[in-house]
Amino acid sequence: MGIVIRRYTPLIALGMVIAILAALPALGAPKTWLLYLIYFYIFLAAANMWNLLAGFSGLLALCPAAFIGLAGYTMTILTWLQVPYYVGLLAGGVVAALFSILISPSVFRMRGIYFAIGTLVVPEVLRLVFLRWRPVGGQLQGGGAGYMVKGVSGIPMQQTYWLGLAVGVASVLLIAFILRSKFGFGLAAIRDNDVSAASSGIDVFRLKLYSFIIAAFMTGVAGAIFFTYQGYIEPNSAFNIRWLMIVLLATVIGGKGIEEGPLVGTIIVVILHFQLARYADISLLIQGTILVVIMLAVPQGITGLVRDLRRAVAGRALLPTGNTSIFSFILSRRRKSHE
Amino acid sequence: MLESLSALATPITMGILYGGLYVVIALGLSLVFGVMKVINVAHGDFVILGSYFAYVVLTSKGVDPVLSLGLGIPLFFIMGILIQKYLLYRAFKISTDAALIIAFGISLIIQNAAQLAWTPMSKSLQTGYSFKSFQVGDVYIPLVYLLDFIVAVIVVVVVHQFLQRTYLGQAITAASQDQQTAELMGINPATVYQYAFGIAIALAAVAGVFLGLTFPFNPISGVPFLIIAFGVIILGGLGSMVGTFIGGMIFGLSQSLGGHFWGPTGQLLVPFLMVLVILTIRPQGLFGR
Repeated sequence: MGIVIRRYTPLIALGMVIAILAALPALGAPKTWLLYLIYFYIFLAAANMWNLLAGFSGLLALCPAAFIGLAGYTMTILTWLQVPYYVGLLAGGVVAALFSILISPSVFRMRGIYFAIGTLVVPEVLRLVFLRWRPVGGQLQGGGAGYMVKGVSGIPMQQTYWLGLAVGVASVLLIAFILRSKFGFGLAAIRDNDVSAASSGIDVFRLKLYSFIIAAFMTGVAGAIFFTYQGYIEPNSAFNIRWLMIVLLATVIGGKGIEEGPLVGTIIVVILHFQLARYADISLLIQGTILVVIMLAVPQGITGLVRDLRRAVAGRALLPTGNTSIFSFILSRRRKSHE
Repeated sequence: MLESLSALATPITMGILYGGLYVVIALGLSLVFGVMKVINVAHGDFVILGSYFAYVVLTSKGVDPVLSLGLGIPLFFIMGILIQKYLLYRAFKISTDAALIIAFGISLIIQNAAQLAWTPMSKSLQTGYSFKSFQVGDVYIPLVYLLDFIVAVIVVVVVHQFLQRTYLGQAITAASQDQQTAELMGINPATVYQYAFGIAIALAAVAGVFLGLTFPFNPISGVPFLIIAFGVIILGGLGSMVGTFIGGMIFGLSQSLGGHFWGPTGQLLVPFLMVLVILTIRPQGLFGR
């Protein structure tokens, strides 16, 4: 009985938190709260997906902006073709996922640093393409190739809020599910040593591809929701490197490769985002400095630090929490003792 | 047909000449990549910082940008050593991912600081010879473009001699060929990394001056140069001076021809697509080991 209660407590707590969050608009929470939370959900989904790639699959993909921008453009263009925006959101995710499949044969040939730079070029290419290409007519179609998202001015904020909540919760559940599945164990094995993973019968390419596609879809949907809130889209901000900055910062502050990492990191990033809005001209300077300091001082992130402290307090070598297998734990220990 | 060919003569000449800029940028990038196996994603921003340094010296003291390198090279060399020692090397000991993320953070810091100090507006280095050009056949060649090419030749020769003949250069070459063996031969990797990074940043100062003479620049124009210089490295192969030189010319050409046929967006789109295609065909570089 006690075990059952302990096992289900986190689930019940999570359910209650979600229920309270979902009820906030109905309870008449101030608009600014809702706004903060919308940003939180969207950044959280993107950061969770980046953690899936960089933290769990060993893919330092520097292209979340590509998925966000593509999905945003898909949704926007579809609204011009009289497609309801909520269909557009899903279509945006699908286009981002298809795009990830399209580029996977080339980017997956690259390894390590080549993969990172290869994916860094992708959003830049898309930005230039969308600066030239004008798919549908519209009044905002100037040199910036920007578009209004048609017919979203009437959408109440609550609706955007719930959409954001849905994608945020979905990303958390998805990560939890993946990490506890065979797929997740496979990813952990690849991250720790892809050669030995391959020799134990794991299809490295396929698993990496799956997590790339999943991340593209989810990041895309989250990005598209952001643009329904913003109401317009243009290439320079849609494919901006700031998207990468957000997910990187959230994941690194929270703890890369730790399930709860992005959750903690995103809270800090959203607070920073709104607090630094007043100092927009030095916002990147501060964020960059935080990134450098955290990476050097606490490379395991806040959740990693808490975990290490707890372990130190417990005074004995506990197995790491989460998905890490006992073998990779032993290996990491041995690697440390070699250094 | 002939007319269209002669119309192409100008962009072709220009592309080859200012391709020299990419050679100098790529050399700095590949020195660090060679020994640390980390791409310094802030390298383009260091180059732009070099342009701004020359801009400040030029506008406040009226010193010619090329002469300002007398101060710029040692200054950037020391800055590079300090950044390597206190930031990158520490991150490098954690993991290569960490080093890449730190470099990304440095890149954003430089961009934002440059924006604060010199506004987001485009600047350029205006000197007495900025608008001078000379004629070869039907082609008018701006003097600064020729300077880019000459500087590339000088830098390649100097760096090559340095790597071949000096003890430090040989240590850097050794560390980039085989880190472990180099260590066994008594080479301290931390020192090698520091010097390699210092030299790379000093090269960025050189590239920055000639970039500023050739193109207008703004705080965020470093990123395209980084990507193209990376393209030059993978096209030319690590450690191959001739390969880097040819790679720089090819990317200069692709940029000028892309601009000629498809306008300002084509100027970047064509070289970027080339980078992706080269990475796809041969991720370790065409002439790479």
